[in-house]
Amino acid sequence: MNYFAFIVKSALFNFSRSKGRTFLTSLGILIGVMAVVLLTAFGLGLKKYINDQFQSLGTNVIRIMPGKVLSGGSFNGSSIGSIRFDEKDVNNLKRIRNLESVAPIYTKSIAVDAGKKKEDATLYSTSAEIFNILNFNAQSGKIFDKTDVDKRNKIAVIGPKIADKLFGSGDLALGKNIKIDSQSFKVTGVLESKGGGGFGGPDLDALVFIPYKTGFVFNTDKKFFIITAKGKENISLDTVKQQIQTVLLKRYKEDEFSVLEQTEILKAVTSIFDVLNMVLVAIAAISLVVGGIGIMNIMYVTVTEKIKEIGIRRALGAKKNDILFQFLVEAVILSVFGGLLGLGLSFFIILLIQKIFPAYIDAQAVLLALGVSTLIGVVFGVFPAKQAADLSPIDAIRYE
Amino acid sequence: MIKLKNVWKEYPLDGTVFTALKDINLTIKSGEFTSIMGPSGSGKSTLMHMVGLLDKPSKGEIFIDNKKISDVNDNQLSDLRNEYIGFVFQQFNLLNKLTILENVLLPTVYLRKKSNIDFQKRALELIDRFGLYEKRHSYPNKISGGQQQRVAIARALIMDPKLILADEPTGNLDSKTGKEIMKLLTELNEKEKRTIVIVTHDPSIAEQVERVVRIIDGQII
Ligand SMILES: Nc1ncnc2c1ncn2[C@@H]1O[C@H](COP(=O)(O)OP(=O)(O)OP(=O)(O)O)[C@@H](O)[C@H]1O
Ligand SMILES: [Mg+2]
Repeated sequence: MNYFAFIVKSALFNFSRSKGRTFLTSLGILIGVMAVVLLTAFGLGLKKYINDQFQSLGTNVIRIMPGKVLSGGSFNGSSIGSIRFDEKDVNNLKRIRNLESVAPIYTKSIAVDAGKKKEDATLYSTSAEIFNILNFNAQSGKIFDKTDVDKRNKIAVIGPKIADKLFGSGDLALGKNIKIDSQSFKVTGVLESKGGGGFGGPDLDALVFIPYKTGFVFNTDKKFFIITAKGKENISLDTVKQQIQTVLLKRYKEDEFSVLEQTEILKAVTSIFDVLNMVLVAIAAISLVVGGIGIMNIMYVTVTEKIKEIGIRRALGAKKNDILFQFLVEAVILSVFGGLLGLGLSFFIILLIQKIFPAYIDAQAVLLALGVSTLIGVVFGVFPAKQAADLSPIDAIRYE
Repeated sequence: MIKLKNVWKEYPLDGTVFTALKDINLTIKSGEFTSIMGPSGSGKSTLMHMVGLLDKPSKGEIFIDNKKISDVNDNQLSDLRNEYIGFVFQQFNLLNKLTILENVLLPTVYLRKKSNIDFQKRALELIDRFGLYEKRHSYPNKISGGQQQRVAIARALIMDPKLILADEPTGNLDSKTGKEIMKLLTELNEKEKRTIVIVTHDPSIAEQVERVVRIIDGQII
């Protein structure tokens, strides 16, 4: 048996002899690690979810909004300006060659009435180009086109969730009439599912698209809150943004509108989550410290119980560092044991919860949990271990 | 091989000083079998701990092979205890969580130099020699006192030390088992020429050994 095996065996013997005490001491670390890992997992999951949603909308999408929405990389809600865009802006922007598509959007929360059933949804009153910009395709029927917009056809293209809830399936929804604010629309298309839904922004499967000219019955001032656009594939977004800026500056002042990339919005959203998550994890880390104090406490007790043993080992040739190391190993085993249990339990909880919440755990979180619990063992074990090592051999061996 | 020169040991006691050892001069030569005798509380164990480098004198100097102990640091003292000295205690002092074999091997764990000695083999030979081969994987609380003391002697011998120190090795044993242990120690001295120092109360043991050191109230007489 080598040095390390001898030391580990000594420690494991203590644990097996006092199982209850070992478990209770590890419990502190278990809870701490679990809190940190779960919160990290929730944070990561939420971030990934938002990221995926943005990705599914395409990455070279540009949004033009009133006011200075983003300042210094974070949202600035108070300065959303009062201007609204109109058809003239859209036509001006369409002259930019580097833009593939431009679509104005008027949006509001609505209740879709299918006679027997009612369902909440988000209305997008917009042009046909929106489907290209947001990568939307029809699973049944078809999306509307420019003619539908110009003819002010009273038709609607609806999300799969709305179709399923109101009519049972996409195919069944085709040709049916729906009412929005007592205006009647005929369903001519049902969109493919974008998946997800529920967290961070509107549910992409519960949208209702109508031609914007038809939609003027809702926004009678014919103004739009957002214009979305898509740059051509191989043109840099910065160039495109610059050109949009130039066009809009002819009508508006510099601080009256913002030209944003999808990724900028993404960054701003995730930075909020990052900060929130960091705060939560820091709070959870306090319970780790409390767990560490528990370990320190029990290690002091263990040292007192083992004074005689320390004396015997010193008499047989153990150096101070050998004793220090022995107790340090014991503290680290205790705390890593708690850490592993906490990690295992977190895995289990995450598996259970994944159906309803996009939590996920990565290798980094696992390493962090193990690293932190080892560190806790060392930091809180070192004081009792030092006390053990500094006992004088003679006092230790005479101790009864 | 070991020399104590004007060694004193004093403890603070209720504001005064209690002198446990008073101006001890003692030389132990290689190959000697020495017995330390004296009444309870006379300072025998204290003296033994000095010789065994577990304790330090308040005054005076200890020499090992003419090397001053006060010049030696804690790690080197540990090495000396590990390789040079083998301890046998009255209460056996085995570790209950280790098997007999592991107890015998314990000192080798603390030898941090490279060694090509097969300690495992040596440990099994010692255990076998003391008639405990069958028990090598048992734990100390499962064997008798006499057997435990033989394990302790095997442990004291595993590093092949020059000096064996035994503080009342028979004190916790009945007289028959005590005699067996004494016979064992005598053999180690006669056949293997090991230097042995034992502390004992038993006058009959003192008669068997070549040199008796008598100590009363911390003084050699
Ligand atoms: N740490 C200490 N503090 C104070 N006094 C001590 C200490 N250690 C030993 N003594 C005292 O020193 C004296 C000698 O003790 P020691 O153990 O050497 O006696 P001993 O001869 O071995 O006795 P016994 O035969 O009972 O084992 C005793 O009076 C004891 O009380
Ligand atoms: Mg004594």
